[in-house]
Amino acid sequence: MKSTDIIHLQEPHLTLGDQFYLPQVLIGLGTTLRHMFQVLGGTDKVIQYPEERREDLPIEAGGILARTSRGVHRLNKDEDGRVKCVACFMCSTACPAKCIHIEAEESPWQDREKYPKKFDIDELRCIYCGMCEEACPVDAIELTNTHDIVGLTRQEMIFDKSKLLQIYDETVAKEPM
Amino acid sequence: MLQSINYYLHLLPPWLWITIIIHFGSLGTVAYLILLERKVASWAQDRIGPNRTGLGFGIIPWLKDKKMFGLGQPLADGLKFFVKEDYRPKNVDRILFTLAPMIMITVILISIAVIPWGGIHQHTIPADGPVPYSATIVSQTPSSITYQYPFQIASLNIGVLFVLAFLSLAVYGVVVGGWASNNKYSFLGGLRAAANMISYEVPLGLSVLTIVLMYGSMDLSVITASQAHYWLGFIPAWNIFTQPLTFFMFLICIHAEANRAPFDLAEAEQELVGGYHTEYSSMRFALFFLAEYAGMITTSAVCVCLFFGGWHIPWLDKIPAIAALIPDPSHPAVTTSLPLCIARALCLIVKTIGVLFFFMWVRWSLPRFRFDQLMNLAWRALIPISLLLLLATTLAIYFVGGNDATYRATELINTPLALTLLGANLLVLVISLIASQLLPAPPPTNRKLPVEGSRFNPAPAL
Repeated sequence: MKSTDIIHLQEPHLTLGDQFYLPQVLIGLGTTLRHMFQVLGGTDKVIQYPEERREDLPIEAGGILARTSRGVHRLNKDEDGRVKCVACFMCSTACPAKCIHIEAEESPWQDREKYPKKFDIDELRCIYCGMCEEACPVDAIELTNTHDIVGLTRQEMIFDKSKLLQIYDETVAKEPM
Repeated sequence: MLQSINYYLHLLPPWLWITIIIHFGSLGTVAYLILLERKVASWAQDRIGPNRTGLGFGIIPWLKDKKMFGLGQPLADGLKFFVKEDYRPKNVDRILFTLAPMIMITVILISIAVIPWGGIHQHTIPADGPVPYSATIVSQTPSSITYQYPFQIASLNIGVLFVLAFLSLAVYGVVVGGWASNNKYSFLGGLRAAANMISYEVPLGLSVLTIVLMYGSMDLSVITASQAHYWLGFIPAWNIFTQPLTFFMFLICIHAEANRAPFDLAEAEQELVGGYHTEYSSMRFALFFLAEYAGMITTSAVCVCLFFGGWHIPWLDKIPAIAALIPDPSHPAVTTSLPLCIARALCLIVKTIGVLFFFMWVRWSLPRFRFDQLMNLAWRALIPISLLLLLATTLAIYFVGGNDATYRATELINTPLALTLLGANLLVLVISLIASQLLPAPPPTNRKLPVEGSRFNPAPAL
């Protein structure tokens, strides 16, 4: 580095008021007081979470576009109410977190060879990247918008096939396939 | 019913009742001050603040679903502090580590003792009635006894000095805590607190001295009572109107004394983790916390007593019905009505909460000082200005007010003297503004370091 490359910054020149410090202090206090009155007047920026949700709010008011968010998985059903999955293992292969565990069995139906006997997703290991839904050739696995899933134990958070199908039943009305 | 209440009230002497009420009250207030602090912080940042924990705690049925603006939060926090693990690191100085929070809370709670909360209550009882212990009997006739007792734990004639002495002892809590923790961040916090508090003691003492000079008394109750008058019949004779600059000095210094923003270098979270209380947990930490807020209460109450007329409710004693309760208008502290005393105490509390709110407002508005700025402010600005103010007040009192303290105490601050003092304050302000331009400039803070040849950029080969 050459000396000519160095930029010498000048300290800003302080006026008499700045040097005495108090005028600037009063300006700062005024700013916070204005905000306090605004909040007490009801214009706070808080979303009272469990009662108010960002997905219910318009974007301008701090909402989020729930349609594009990725939440808990579901296993889709076809028109006859059968699980759509054909147990091809594409999702579990694509999964970077290795959280999908499938056991296949010969399908009782004529139109496909296999179906999943077990289909477990560890929702705590999952990173919600959506690769499984990208990989699925029959659109059987999908991520819903529901992100607030809780459980009391780790075991409880490993969702099995029936639970995933149940999530489909609960969310299909709001989020069609 | 009233008889039995009177009986129970007289089981304990008034000063003990007052002690109990003030100490438990201030400890309870501390908890709610923390809630207020969090609320003020939230409001300044466009948030709402804690608003989930009501007083029902999910147990009491009829309060279960009430949130009550988070009024239960301090109690829940207190409970949490009690049940947390009281962790003591391995290599701390065990005795001092335990002692430090105790020193701090003790001296702070002692210093509340001299605040005059509600003037003096004068009570007349039949001659055979019980006179409470420690009450002063002012007159005695064959049929009745008239006694007085102050709404104050200890009516000391060195009141202000007592507060200053004990508040400066509080720095020991910080320094000892920082030292005993055997942690370099705690130690740095303790050192900073010591330098900070010692520097700001001087202008604090000087600005208090200015007020003491006006009344010729250090007794806070005398200073307060002397302000319970009016200039020109309607302006309350509060010192804020005669000594605005002194009030500013005092206000800045009590911020530094309480170790609060913008002077909270002792616990600068960004630099020192937590400063002197880094290693503390559970109730020991809570004691430091309580001490900080109790100290704020004390200094705010002293501030109110010195500058805002203490318990004086402005214009209330203009009402004839209220004025009748004050037997001697030249001693406005003495009143025959207990409700008036309590109203005065409430007034002092309201004013104190106003100052406390200002403390919090400042904390969430101003950035922290750098250490050299802190020292510059004390030694280059506050101390010279306080000295000038002391000089100006001295001259004003000598030439305008007369040099007899008792004369001034009875006449109180007459209007010419008040105007002179106000003028003296403004004069000092102008002088200090001019002098600040003539003072030699401090060395520039961003000094130019030679870049070539430094460790990061070796000199080019010749």
